[in-house]
Amino acid sequence: MTATATPRTKRQKKEAAGPYGNVGKTVDVLDERLGFAKGGRVFMDKIFPDHWSFMLGEIALYSFVVLLVTGVFLTLYFVPSQRLMTVPMDFPYKPLRGDTVSEAFYSTINMSFNVRCGLLMRQMHHWACDIFVASIVVHMARVFFTGAFRKPREANWLVGVTLLILAITNGFLGYSLPDDLVSGTGIRIADSIMLSIPVIGSYVSFFVFGGTFPGDIVIERFFIIHVLLVPGAIMGLVGAHLGLLVRQKHTQFPGKGRTERNVVGSPMFPVFIFKTQGFLFMVLGACALLGALAQINPVWQFGQYYAANISYAVQPDWYMGFLDGLLRVMPAWEFNNFGYTIPLEVTFPAVIFPGIVFNIAMAWPWIEQQFTKDKQMHHLLDRPRDVPHRTAFGVAFFALLAILFIASSTDVLANFFHVSLNFVLILMRVLCFVVPVIAYPVTYFICIELQGGGSLMGKRKRANVVVRTEEGEYIANPSDPRPGDAHEELDATPVPTFIIDEAVVVEAEEVVSEGGVKVAAR
Amino acid sequence: MTDQHEPADITTVTADAPQMQPLAKDPDAMANKIGLLFILGLICFLGFGVAYWQDAAFWLYGTLIGAGLVALGSGFIAWGKYLLPKGPFVEERHVLASSTEERTAFSAALMERGVAPIKRRKALGALLGGSLGVFSIVALFPLVRSLGPLPGDSLATTNWKKGTRLVDINGNFIHIDQIDVGGFATVFPEGLQLTDDGQAIDQTFLIRVDTEPFTTAKGREDWTPSGYVAYSKLCTHLGCPVGLYEQQLEVLVCPCHQSMFKVREAAIPTFGPAPRPLPQLPLAVDSDGYLFAAAGYNEPVGPGYWERP
Amino acid sequence: MVTMQKTLKTYATRVGLGLVGAAALTTMATPFLAGAAPVHAAELGSSHVSCPAGTTAKYDPEYGVPASLIGEDSKTKTKNAGTAYSSIQCYDASGQLVAYGNDAILYKFPASSLAPLGEKLYQQNCASCHGTKADGVLPTYSAGAYPALRGLGPATINFWITTGRMPAADPKEVQAARKQPRLNPFQANAIAAYVNSLEPATPGIPSVNVKDANLTAGQTLYALNCAACHTITGGGDALAQGTYAPSLHVATPTQVAEALRIGPGNMPVFSGNLTDDEVRDITAYVTESLAKPTDIGGVGMGGLGPVAEGFIALALGIGILMLVSFWVGERQ
Repeated sequence: MTATATPRTKRQKKEAAGPYGNVGKTVDVLDERLGFAKGGRVFMDKIFPDHWSFMLGEIALYSFVVLLVTGVFLTLYFVPSQRLMTVPMDFPYKPLRGDTVSEAFYSTINMSFNVRCGLLMRQMHHWACDIFVASIVVHMARVFFTGAFRKPREANWLVGVTLLILAITNGFLGYSLPDDLVSGTGIRIADSIMLSIPVIGSYVSFFVFGGTFPGDIVIERFFIIHVLLVPGAIMGLVGAHLGLLVRQKHTQFPGKGRTERNVVGSPMFPVFIFKTQGFLFMVLGACALLGALAQINPVWQFGQYYAANISYAVQPDWYMGFLDGLLRVMPAWEFNNFGYTIPLEVTFPAVIFPGIVFNIAMAWPWIEQQFTKDKQMHHLLDRPRDVPHRTAFGVAFFALLAILFIASSTDVLANFFHVSLNFVLILMRVLCFVVPVIAYPVTYFICIELQGGGSLMGKRKRANVVVRTEEGEYIANPSDPRPGDAHEELDATPVPTFIIDEAVVVEAEEVVSEGGVKVAAR
Repeated sequence: MTDQHEPADITTVTADAPQMQPLAKDPDAMANKIGLLFILGLICFLGFGVAYWQDAAFWLYGTLIGAGLVALGSGFIAWGKYLLPKGPFVEERHVLASSTEERTAFSAALMERGVAPIKRRKALGALLGGSLGVFSIVALFPLVRSLGPLPGDSLATTNWKKGTRLVDINGNFIHIDQIDVGGFATVFPEGLQLTDDGQAIDQTFLIRVDTEPFTTAKGREDWTPSGYVAYSKLCTHLGCPVGLYEQQLEVLVCPCHQSMFKVREAAIPTFGPAPRPLPQLPLAVDSDGYLFAAAGYNEPVGPGYWERP
Repeated sequence: MVTMQKTLKTYATRVGLGLVGAAALTTMATPFLAGAAPVHAAELGSSHVSCPAGTTAKYDPEYGVPASLIGEDSKTKTKNAGTAYSSIQCYDASGQLVAYGNDAILYKFPASSLAPLGEKLYQQNCASCHGTKADGVLPTYSAGAYPALRGLGPATINFWITTGRMPAADPKEVQAARKQPRLNPFQANAIAAYVNSLEPATPGIPSVNVKDANLTAGQTLYALNCAACHTITGGGDALAQGTYAPSLHVATPTQVAEALRIGPGNMPVFSGNLTDDEVRDITAYVTESLAKPTDIGGVGMGGLGPVAEGFIALALGIGILMLVSFWVGERQ
């Protein structure tokens, strides 16, 4: 820098500051010390594909933000203790005055009634949890049906499934904390599920509860797992999930100008930052509105948990519904041999089945490889209809889970439709088998049919112009394309659906010559 | 819509390129709309502040802050979508994999510097592995074994013994004339009605089904004095309290998963996932007319588990 | 997890009987049953319980417990299907019992002068199924028999008619549904008077003193005894073989107390394991706290719990946010 003269006027000052003013100066100062400008520019230039379905994972990310913020608030008031106390006689909710309750229950109702914004935070936390798990499932479905889990993203798929398991686990732990009748019943069922594990079941139960159910320590233990261990693990894995996403770059749908070798979309700065920031506020706002207007888990109406009390129609939160449903529809198959018991009517629905579900989910990238023998890199997504077997399997799988989810409210359905409980349960047992078996072929053939539609689906047909020739002959000619349609009817750019891993280019050459280059329809 | 142009390279694009233009046809009008959204957000946030300060209705301040956030978010999104460069932009996807030489070099370094020396000193490597293995096992002791006592046979036993009087939740004895046919009471061993064990394990469902004794199963002829019958209240499915009695159907239903048990027939499950009948407590009447247990339960109560005989 | 000390505590203070020795009870009960000196309601020291105008009250500060029920440490004074357990009895000029009960609940018999009107209404509305003498009819439908009504007591008649379950719309139904009553409360009273005149019986029609109720005790007792069928929020749900537990949100205090004491349909009879105080507490909890739930957190969604909440989260929560992403992102 060559200082000439001290700037006097405003204009001189502006000129002396360089074209980017104070921002430029600040960047200079910081970059001399941290050296971030080069990498930062790369980051700002990072391109994110714009498709709407790529925002679903962000719902999960931002509802997790809501969970962290509201959760920290709740820890300031919640007392994770089963010690007994008496509800003060001036407590706002009459039916609990003078009641003997645990400190966990009292601190929950106290923050709901006596802490300003406490109930809002509690309800936002619970709604955000329901939305968190739901958005993970929806996001996962998107990734599954578009084949985004294929090489090189298998590891990120594993991280995602693990996140889903952790989210469900933490949801259940949080549901158990207030020590109300509903959560206590949930813990009791969890205890029985632990007992049902062959060989080690009773040890698991005794180690979790510090003795027989209910003990006096389980809420303290669940609390520390709920607020520290699992959220820590989730945060770490979310970091890994996003880190892998940045490293491997986002997938994209095939389309004009899009190849396996590029990413088309909006830059990180400013477009994506603005959109995603806005989306964060939208998720926050949705949770706040739900928390303000729709009551969730009114524990004061349920009362303190006593082991001898029970309510009908106690259900877990929705994401545990498929387990509860299977526990209901499972026949009573208990095996007792050589002095040992395997309570399969519990072990299968609550231990083996979720094990199967999540293992299939985790192993899916490799399961699919076994069928397709496809070991190439994929950065362009499939349209679900183009991979009918995967789509059909996914639909059948989700249909089974959906039926089990519905089966978790057999009593509510029976009451609502005024039919016998027995009838509903038997119907659900049948549907568990029938619906997935029907869903697979139906989806498969819908996919096959849709494939024929291709890129002309939904486009306006061109009119036929009928011309009478001088000889009296009539000829029908298609009219010119309408102005708005013209550019859509350009020839699609041929797009290879996979690129060759440069490191193994020698082996891959064969594949290219055999399969040639697939042309994407769009 | 954004695909009208060929994607541009973000690093080289000039400010006047079509991709750098906003999507909005009339950016000024759009800016006004976005401004309105931000003003709406501002008003909502101020309203929240006032409502909080005044301790207004819960739903009011919740709605205000929620609406404010939605307005703010919509403004942000609209700004990003309509006023900022509409794109599309393109970026090259770099090949993640390293070159073959780099890989070979890495593997070589790994094997030659790290693993190969261990292989040469096999005994040392085995000792290291063994010691780490033992460490990882003993490290589990405090993490797992300290968590609680061993179960022993505590799952198979209850506090019901021969001669234990039945008491209700208030600690009152149950007199033989007290409950009418079609009535029930949740009963506990005397003195344990207020304890964790009494409530969680010993809880028993006492029903008066009849005025006369009846036989629930062979060998249980004298277990039901004056038509009283007592079953463990713990469902054999998942341990929920089976507190749902239908007096005309004479069935017990578990409120959790709707297993149904026939009260007159030793509580055999007729429907639902429960695998076993509810254990029955033999009853007797003392000279004062109070009910007591003629013996403890003859099998473990509650759900199934591995060691259950 | 949590013991129920408070239940015991409140019980002891409410009833105040645990402290009274058995011998004292025996001596008190015997003269009462034999007929103690009449005391007017105004002298009872309780502003809440009074006999109907023009009647004479007999009062015993303790429940009149038959000697047979008193053991060495008994607090078995829970039953109130009849006068023997009542601390107050009201007689009219002719010496006929018109009401009995205590501070918590007064069970009233309908005036016998209504019996002629009741007979007429009975023959029109009830006799075709229950027989002209209220002694029942053998079952002709598989759905069930038509029970004899005589000897059931006025509370039973009153409950079935005032909840609209009787006269039944369809006698073949598994369970008569609550509906708009066809007969008004006065007519129900008259029919009860007629049936009671055929064979006098208890319980009378309970009038519950909900003002003095202990809602906390009511909540605990409800969770122990009632929630298993009616759900913890009182919404009711489907039970075995097409039966169901009805919603409690529309029941009146009298109907709740009647149901507890008589056990209509498949509902168990709570005559032996709940005192009148406890029935009063449950009644107050049901009619005050459950019928008008404290939904301070927003829309209560019918107390359906996680089923409704999950539906909202999936349909509204994630649904709307997906629409937002549909707006944010591009669509092809």
